[in-house]
Amino acid sequence: MFIENIKEAITSIFSNKMRSLLTMLGIIIGISSVIIITTIGGSIQSTLTATMNSLGGNTVQVYVDARYPENEEDWDTWVYPEMTEDDYVTQEMIDGLIAAYPDEITGIAAQTYMGTGQIQDEADADNYANVNIAGVTPEYLAYMKLEMYAGRNLTDADNKGQKKVCLIADTMASRYFGDKDPIGETVSVTGADGSIYDFVVVGIYVYNQALFGQVDTSIPEKDRMTELLIPLQTCFKLQNSDQTGYDYFNLLLTPLADVEQATADTLAYFEKQYANNENFQVSVYNMASSMGMINTVLNVITVAVSGIAAISLVVGGVGVMNIMLVSITERTREIGVRMALGAKRSTIRMQFVIEAIMLCLIGGIIGILIGVGIGALLGSIAGFVIQNMYAEYSSYIIMSVHPSATAIMLSLFFSMLTGVFFGYYPANKASKMEVIDALRYE
Amino acid sequence: MSEPVIRMENIIKTYYLGKPNELEILHGINLSVHEGEFVSIVGESGSGKSTLMNIIGVLDRQTSGNYYLEGQDVGGMSDEVRSAIRNRRIGFVFQNFNLLPRANALKNVMIPLMYGKERTRDQKERAMEMLAMVGMEERATHRPNELSGGQKQRVAIARAMINDPAIILADEPTGALDSKTGHMVMDLFHKLHEEQGKTIVLITHSHELASETQRIVTLLDGEIVADNGGERACS
Repeated sequence: MFIENIKEAITSIFSNKMRSLLTMLGIIIGISSVIIITTIGGSIQSTLTATMNSLGGNTVQVYVDARYPENEEDWDTWVYPEMTEDDYVTQEMIDGLIAAYPDEITGIAAQTYMGTGQIQDEADADNYANVNIAGVTPEYLAYMKLEMYAGRNLTDADNKGQKKVCLIADTMASRYFGDKDPIGETVSVTGADGSIYDFVVVGIYVYNQALFGQVDTSIPEKDRMTELLIPLQTCFKLQNSDQTGYDYFNLLLTPLADVEQATADTLAYFEKQYANNENFQVSVYNMASSMGMINTVLNVITVAVSGIAAISLVVGGVGVMNIMLVSITERTREIGVRMALGAKRSTIRMQFVIEAIMLCLIGGIIGILIGVGIGALLGSIAGFVIQNMYAEYSSYIIMSVHPSATAIMLSLFFSMLTGVFFGYYPANKASKMEVIDALRYE
Repeated sequence: MSEPVIRMENIIKTYYLGKPNELEILHGINLSVHEGEFVSIVGESGSGKSTLMNIIGVLDRQTSGNYYLEGQDVGGMSDEVRSAIRNRRIGFVFQNFNLLPRANALKNVMIPLMYGKERTRDQKERAMEMLAMVGMEERATHRPNELSGGQKQRVAIARAMINDPAIILADEPTGALDSKTGHMVMDLFHKLHEEQGKTIVLITHSHELASETQRIVTLLDGEIVADNGGERACS
């Protein structure tokens, strides 16, 4: 019976194509607009998430920050306090943090930039390399998702022993050293202030332009900067700073760690550590929070569009109700015949409710198809535009354009619901007809 | 003596057209039809024969009196049960055929099966058998608008027969047909009556058509004024 009803409903809908299509229009517009917006929104969201995760965006940043005055009137007299040795995050604190949350945190990645420098080949005046000297912890490479090309990574021993060793970029290595194996060679870096530092090359990392950013394509490739990575503590020493602790670092998380949880745990840990510090505290921040903001904006847009869609579903539903009432009047005789041949009132009601549902469902499906098509098209165009705007990063942007399955399911559900809601009244009216009156209807 | 298929006792039908205006159409009808009878109910328009047919066909309820169909008091039954009775026990043949325009001949014949309880695999075969019986198997896939009047009525008869009803109730079945096709349809009724022993009630205003049947019940102003077979049936 059910299947026969569906078949008959489809026959009836298709026997009046133009009328059915016009009736469905409201539903088609409503559903397709929701699908378009959710497809674009979902694509933006997943593209951002995928790209950020691939670039190590899913990380937690920790930094020492002043305790700002709580009262507004104090702001006028407040000055940012001077940081002393005691205010830095010490290695002991970090060891304690890792020991406290071994399931979440595997290490920290810290870096400090010492400045730019130039390495000059004494034998060949034309052979030089511009570098940006950065002091880093051994975890820095893992954190930045950089890979070793040859040699070894920096070690804790390098760091604690303030060794004068360095990692160089593969692009710089091939340009500067040519066929010579750079490992074990000493490079002399002349800093911007004229001081000269010697480092022994222990390893080569694979340079990743997108991660370091700031690519100035107007500079010839030969003059472009690459990062020369030295141990962080070595860096502190060369800068003649008393600093041995950290004022800024990133947490390196275990693969299964929950970013929000790790953020909260770290914050709690440092709140305890800095409880007695009058001037400073530790702030913990993760990228997920700023992703959260983008998501919030997208969600607000989605909700707003869903509201519009709801209105157009209601308008479409009223259209369906109207056309069902017309259809029932036109088919009064048919209803009479069906009743005479044994159709129960409930059967008649069911038949017309199913017809209304089918009308809305077909409208919904057309809307979904249009929405998926336009959404995917617009998503792809947006992706294309972004990739051209940031051409140098294009290989790191992970495009992910796909319609939202949830939105599709919800659309189908709501279009069916519209059918039930607006189809019931006409169907009930049909079922209330008296068989002899309906049979005699001209 | 066996229970008649139709037994009506003092059936009165009154229409209420606003409070003071009561219009009594049937003034106490007593009628029994036995199995295998071919009865025609004749009367001029306004005689109440359509009203009587509606009550016999369980399409309408009597105002008072009792109506037993195969011994069951149908007057007191719910709408649901009455639908089921119409579906299984009564085969309607209408003057204007009342085939569903969007369905082909076969589908039209199968409609009563759709509203029945049982679901059997051979429904289609059964419907084809019915079409074959009325000589319409060649036209099974044709829609009503592709059929002539006589062909439509034959499809309608096949539809009326599909659930093997207790009675065939034919309301002016030749009214919309020319006399030649009308005769063909009447021949079909005779065939059903003679070969299958169907109980047939024919409602008509034509005395000529009525004269073909065994028993003629004449209705005038809501009362039975003549019944040539009542005695025979009771004897």
